[in-house]
Amino acid sequence: MEILQILINGLLLGGFYALIGVGFSLVWGVTNIINLAHGALALLGAYITFYMFQELNIDPFLTIPVSFVLLFALGYIIQRYVMNLVVKAQIFILLILTFGLEIFLVNFMTTFFSADFRSVTPEYAGKSLMLGDIVIPYIRLGVFVICVIIAFVTGLFLDKTWTGKAIKATSLDIEAAMMTGINPAKIYAITFGLGTALAGVSGTLLTLTQAFSPNIAGGLTLRAFIVAILGGLGRVEGALVGGLVLGVIETFSSYVIGESYKNAIAFGLMVVMLVLKPSGLMGRKYYAEVKH
Amino acid sequence: MINRKLILFAIFLLLLLALPFVISGYWLRVLTQTFLFAAIATGSDIIIGYTGYPAFGNIAFFGVGAYVTGVLMTKYGFSFAATLPLCALSGIILAALLGIPILRLKGHYFAIATVGVMETIRELIDNMTELTGGGLGLTLPIMSGEPEYIYKFFYFAMLGCMLFALLISFIISKVKPGYALRAIRVDEDAASVMGINTPVYKTFAWALSAAIVGISGGIYAYWLSYIDPHTVFVGTYSVKMFAMILLGGAGTVMGPLLGAFILELISEFVWSKFIAIHGMVLGLLIILIILFIPKGIFQTFKGGFSFRKLMANLKENSL
Repeated sequence: MEILQILINGLLLGGFYALIGVGFSLVWGVTNIINLAHGALALLGAYITFYMFQELNIDPFLTIPVSFVLLFALGYIIQRYVMNLVVKAQIFILLILTFGLEIFLVNFMTTFFSADFRSVTPEYAGKSLMLGDIVIPYIRLGVFVICVIIAFVTGLFLDKTWTGKAIKATSLDIEAAMMTGINPAKIYAITFGLGTALAGVSGTLLTLTQAFSPNIAGGLTLRAFIVAILGGLGRVEGALVGGLVLGVIETFSSYVIGESYKNAIAFGLMVVMLVLKPSGLMGRKYYAEVKH
Repeated sequence: MINRKLILFAIFLLLLLALPFVISGYWLRVLTQTFLFAAIATGSDIIIGYTGYPAFGNIAFFGVGAYVTGVLMTKYGFSFAATLPLCALSGIILAALLGIPILRLKGHYFAIATVGVMETIRELIDNMTELTGGGLGLTLPIMSGEPEYIYKFFYFAMLGCMLFALLISFIISKVKPGYALRAIRVDEDAASVMGINTPVYKTFAWALSAAIVGISGGIYAYWLSYIDPHTVFVGTYSVKMFAMILLGGAGTVMGPLLGAFILELISEFVWSKFIAIHGMVLGLLIILIILFIPKGIFQTFKGGFSFRKLMANLKENSL
């Protein structure tokens, strides 16, 4: 029974990892930008929820659209007016640029929101669903369901809408996409905006499951990274699988080996994956292939 | 031309040798820190600039070097000087072992794998409490002598480390293996076809850079006399080092060093004037360097300073 409980805990955690990974993976797959500020942007969403809950007493789940819209706008602006200026440069230039952004955002949050750990605890925080011996907190279940729904809707958006198809077309062949009248500068901005918005929503949901401070930004980014590597770039299904795998492995290894080696195991897993199968579990050859 | 450069360098060196006898303890500390970054940047440039492999987590070797010195001095009674070759050796062994799997990766993947390596080593050290003190940190024996003397000692030790890095980088830029590294950067497949054993050369470059970064970590540990995993495995250092390399010009002998001097002195100035927001300013500074001078100030301003060149840099890689 204990194993089952651990498995369920792992899957619930994995749902959150999947959501934080989806946006990251999408941006990487389409624009070839590894956004090291992803975790910091997610925390902006977390602070939006925190302040709306604390000052206006708005239910955390209801702040999801606010995080989404505000961070979409921010992401769109960042890509359109900053990233697009260097997007064709060597990869490590982009890497450092986004890290510069991360340093800026983390210090911004530390200065204006303080480095204290914050948490959001609505009234229903302690309630759980009991299935025999197995305990499933309602909040974690809710977070999991929302994460999966959002990932699913993102997939539908990419497959079914004109904009979604344009994003995929741009990622496959930017020149051919331009010939069909797609403006890549705009598509990149929309993609980055979407990735940032998804980060913001995952930040909102993060407030419900754990305490946060600006200093956890790096840890979140690295989780998103591992999810993207495990699942395969630019694929929503990949991020879902990658997130669940990471969640389960992390929970199990914490249980078997101990909490303190959790990160080492996650990174070890990533490095092994990179060496053995860089395209990820669900990666496909032609889709969002790495451009050097 | 070569002679003029040599004379300029000699003046620069004499200045650095004379300075500690006239400046205050504060400036000694600032310059020691600058030499540290110059050594790290110059050493890392061998794998990053010459070979074209963005080793984003190269600070891993810095941390390992710091812990080699720390553990050997506290637990095994080694003298400081005796630990330094072992710092270099630890870097070489680690880079050679990790290089076999990781140097097969390219671009983003290589960059991030090195970050993963850094984080993993940090966590391992964090958990090896018996040996390393874990999260509590490790207190090194404090050097005996007057504070004045100690300041100067570390000033010269770090200067020596920086000059050593510079010498290695200079040799690499002149000898045949150095050309092989540059061939790998330009086109690895072509280099391979030309008969360059690319895995060996890449590992060699990484090991060399790891050795230099490892030694600077060892000196840093003794200088600080207290280390914990979070003070020596710092992601921010990696980024600063990268920004320095880019600012001065990647793949050049003097570039990373000059980049280190410029950026470190600026950030020291910002730190002393705007302590509350210095992190934000540093982030902004890095963004601006990337946007406007990614090719390095010397390459960009070869024929004098102009805003048009900055704008041209900006347009070159835009969508």
